[in-house]
Amino acid sequence: MDTNDSLRLASLWHSMHAISQQLSPTTGCAGIELLQADTFDLHCFQSLTGTKFFVVCELGTLHMEALLKVIYELYTDYVLKNPFYEIEMPIRCELFDLNLSQAIQKDRIALLGR
Amino acid sequence: MAPLAPKTGDAVFASIDRVNAELFTLTYGAMVRQLLTDLEEVDEVNKQLDQMGYNIGIRLIDEFLAKSNVSRCVDFKETADVIAKVGFKMFLGVAAAVTNWDAEGTSFSLVLEDNPLVDFVELPDTCQGLHYCNILSGVIRGALEMVSMKTEVTWVRDMLHGDDAYELRVKLLKQVPEEYPYKDDE
Amino acid sequence: MIGVGKIKQYSNVLDKPLSRGRQEVSLSAFAFLFSELVQYSQTQVDNIAELERRLEDAGYAVGARVLELLCHREKGNRRETRLLGILSFVHSTVWKVLFGKVADSLEKGTEHEDEYMISEKELLVNRFISIPKDMGAFNCGAFVAGIVRGVLDGAGFPAVVTAHFVPMEGQQRPRTTILIKFAEEVLRRESRLGG
Repeated sequence: MDTNDSLRLASLWHSMHAISQQLSPTTGCAGIELLQADTFDLHCFQSLTGTKFFVVCELGTLHMEALLKVIYELYTDYVLKNPFYEIEMPIRCELFDLNLSQAIQKDRIALLGR
Repeated sequence: MAPLAPKTGDAVFASIDRVNAELFTLTYGAMVRQLLTDLEEVDEVNKQLDQMGYNIGIRLIDEFLAKSNVSRCVDFKETADVIAKVGFKMFLGVAAAVTNWDAEGTSFSLVLEDNPLVDFVELPDTCQGLHYCNILSGVIRGALEMVSMKTEVTWVRDMLHGDDAYELRVKLLKQVPEEYPYKDDE
Repeated sequence: MIGVGKIKQYSNVLDKPLSRGRQEVSLSAFAFLFSELVQYSQTQVDNIAELERRLEDAGYAVGARVLELLCHREKGNRRETRLLGILSFVHSTVWKVLFGKVADSLEKGTEHEDEYMISEKELLVNRFISIPKDMGAFNCGAFVAGIVRGVLDGAGFPAVVTAHFVPMEGQQRPRTTILIKFAEEVLRRESRLGG
């Protein structure tokens, strides 16, 4: 998937997230947290600043909420503290990629369950 | 169940990586000196420091939310306490005190017990108009803006100007309602 | 008034006792400040060499003050006068105070008599920084190189100091080497003082 495709999908997801808030019969809905398809799960976390993080995984994968929190922390470290990252632009930070690929290894995720 | 929001930043500060405050203080001093050379006018330096603080604030807020376990504040009073007790402590290692609320509950003062930015500092005669710590007001303004609060942050007292404490006045101008990003005409 | 009890006022900054330097701030506070320093510096320069120069200048100002502070606090107002003494002071004392640890290594250059290298697997200032591909070999360690130059210069050891990424075998990330090239006069004096 190239950058344009990602941006297009992200903006669609953003809208769906907003629609879900409007659809909610009760007030105070924070949007879609989990979307279950027949072949995958999509977990979404939105920070209070409005940035959304989502992970697409095998059906029923555990600890995704905790993983998203870890990714949020990695984002604050290796993206937001990088002087060469421009806010609202696609993330191209080697250290973020490196730490992210470590965080999503199966054994690491299993540890999140503790 | 979500963990209870911390009342102070002590535990967070103890658990995160820290550095010698002197490295921080001296680096800040070197930066202010470069600004004075680049911009010449003290007023311009004040503006630039505020802008730099703002730039930091809009990034730092996410780190604060990610690592402090603070969740959405119910009102501006809680916001003030969280900034003073958790925010200042978590980043600078010192807590601030919240005082002087106005009757409407829309502005308050942050009084600093200790200020790591100003160790070793004395303002020369040529820089009397300098708000040396102006970066702090920018940080607060930027951070709050990212969580939908437009504020104005000004210095009331400054020990480098001979006052008996550091006091920042934070005034809530507008609570921006959370808008749906989805609009019909888009 | 709440919260002002701990502050004691001094009419002059010189009357204030020098802190013992045990206070800490979060690494994040420093990292955000440093990131902003780099971002601001970028707006003031036209090329990477100038950016390095600006960061080095900022570091120099820090180094010059650190030397005075540490000579007073750690060494009873004495400072090193010999080459190896001052290098070891930088590698151990200065590093420990500023970065919380002694530097990983201090080596003599193999090709040139006047060169020394202080290396660090992960320089504190680079902890969160990824250099974009189009910036080539640029290293924000230029700031630390400036600190080192500031300390050395203030102590009477003028030198050219630069920061370089050096790839390490078996490591994903390069380490940073601070290369110190002493001025001729320093080496002449050193040989005059003898071993």
